[in-house]
Amino acid sequence: MSLSIKPGRVQPGGLRRSREDDAVGRRRWATPIWNAVAVLFAVVMFFPIYWMIITPIKTGKDLLSVDPTFWPTGFDTASFRTVFTDPNFLPDMRNVAMITIGAVAMGLAVGFLGAVAVARFRFTGRNFFIAAMLVVQMVPLLSLVIPMFFILKNIGLYDQAFGVILAYLVFTIPYVVWTLRSFIVNIPKELDEAALVDGCTRWGAFIRIILPLTVPGLITTGVFCWIQAWNEFVIANILLSSNDQQTAMVWLTGFSSTPTHGADYGSQMAGALMVSMPVIILFVIFQRRVASGLTAGAVKG
Amino acid sequence: MSVMESDRVPAAADEPKASKSARGGVRIRGNYVPYVLIAPAVVVLVGVLAYPLVDLFVLAFQNVNDYLHLSAPSLVKFIGFDGFTKVLSSAEFWQATERTVLFTLEVVTASIVLALLFGLLLQRVSNWAKVTVVTSLMFVWAIPQIVTGTVFRWLFANTGGVVDYLLYRITGNTGWRTHDWFADSNQGLYVVVALAVLWGALPFLVIGLNAALTQVPKELVEASKLDGANGWQTFRHVVLPVIKPFLVLCTALSFIWDFQVFGQIWALRQNSPEEGYRVLGIYLYQQGLGSSHYSTSAVISILMILLMLAVLIFYIRQVIKIGEQD
Repeated sequence: MSLSIKPGRVQPGGLRRSREDDAVGRRRWATPIWNAVAVLFAVVMFFPIYWMIITPIKTGKDLLSVDPTFWPTGFDTASFRTVFTDPNFLPDMRNVAMITIGAVAMGLAVGFLGAVAVARFRFTGRNFFIAAMLVVQMVPLLSLVIPMFFILKNIGLYDQAFGVILAYLVFTIPYVVWTLRSFIVNIPKELDEAALVDGCTRWGAFIRIILPLTVPGLITTGVFCWIQAWNEFVIANILLSSNDQQTAMVWLTGFSSTPTHGADYGSQMAGALMVSMPVIILFVIFQRRVASGLTAGAVKG
Repeated sequence: MSVMESDRVPAAADEPKASKSARGGVRIRGNYVPYVLIAPAVVVLVGVLAYPLVDLFVLAFQNVNDYLHLSAPSLVKFIGFDGFTKVLSSAEFWQATERTVLFTLEVVTASIVLALLFGLLLQRVSNWAKVTVVTSLMFVWAIPQIVTGTVFRWLFANTGGVVDYLLYRITGNTGWRTHDWFADSNQGLYVVVALAVLWGALPFLVIGLNAALTQVPKELVEASKLDGANGWQTFRHVVLPVIKPFLVLCTALSFIWDFQVFGQIWALRQNSPEEGYRVLGIYLYQQGLGSSHYSTSAVISILMILLMLAVLIFYIRQVIKIGEQD
């Protein structure tokens, strides 16, 4: 790929002045070369997203041309209209939003209690519980969907949002316990003790000390759970069968394999963009937190 | 919901009780409080994870191989290892395994090598360039697998696809202009699917490895330079030992992700992957839900977990080891 396809990623000129501060005896003359390589890398990585954004606003003429154009020659909303007039699009967006909120809320509530237990108490079985939370995250979801399908059928939750919410707890709860644990461990015990000395009840100390100090952790883990639940496809695809119950991801695969839209990449990209929007927005808002949460949660353990 | 509610209410109610005994001393050991706190998590995970896992094993030793068996429970019977024998003697299973292993090796190697190179690169660039790369990577990170598959199908389309166009412009060969990447499944799987998976995996790996690289003490790097070490020697003997635990972790994690690849292939092949795209994940899905061979699918699931087991155990031990060091 060449630099000519650079999708308008503007470098703020002001930042350029910041000195090359990473001088560990590095040759300064090489920095511009590395910068160029880095920008090229950023451009190549961002290109598929740029393409997803640019395709649906292209006019029909642009879309049908054999040679793609790198800039839209006109602005057309037809592709977005196709998506929004699809009878299943909005209901399925609503479904995935409800399922995600349900899975994140329940995962956080249940996982938080578990995290408090392992971070603040010593008890028999504690190490086993912690190890189990790690092991459980490694079980391939694909292998669980068939038994889940049977179980939900038996208890009458098949093809219902609540069944999927329960299924999603498989990955939200262990993740929340595992990640929040390190957040709570880092809150000094002296703070709880000081609160107790000052006459707080145990419950009061929990509400006034641990809970507020864990809020950043709750947000980080909540964002990660949200992304996982929103993006999940296999479970939703199997456990939900009727069109008006499905999630947005299932909708997208269905939409892009229908005869009418199978080759209509304008609409497919519009749909792809719309279903990833909520996650992209979350990432933009919580960028810093997500980047640091990655190393804190996934690696430090 | 009812299961969880009933468990959470006592948790809340027990807290004040525990505090009464706590008033006197500062350090309290509530001996049942932690159990009450973990009870909801345990109950839910037994229900949604342990029970299905047991069910998976039961299913694997049964003959639930069409919908009739499902609707007429009297027909279901245990067939011992017959299901395993059947799967293990089928050529399809071994082909799927071979594809999965090759694909995993390819993508894991590419991911780790590229992530390491770009992680190192990020250490040498100006701040604005680093911010640009990280911002771009954060966007990529947010993209769901299904969307990745859909977008890559468009990028690699044989009419109007931008990759074909660029290759045609670069090489001048008109053959590229309408090249069908998916006609040959080897090309489709080991090039397009691999690139899609790699693209999605790089953000986590690059940002993570770059963070690990910043842990390398600058004094050590400087000292090794003073002692006359060249770039490679410094990397090999100073940088690598520091980042090794994280590097090993990333490799194991990539293996676990790539071995189960599903979403990208599913979206790239528009819900019906051809035979050449049948990696284990796709194979077990098609057996289970596509053709209602529930027991066969359960057998494949178990075999897939067994194939991954060595890496899984290694990964878990590694994480626990790193956790202990803190």
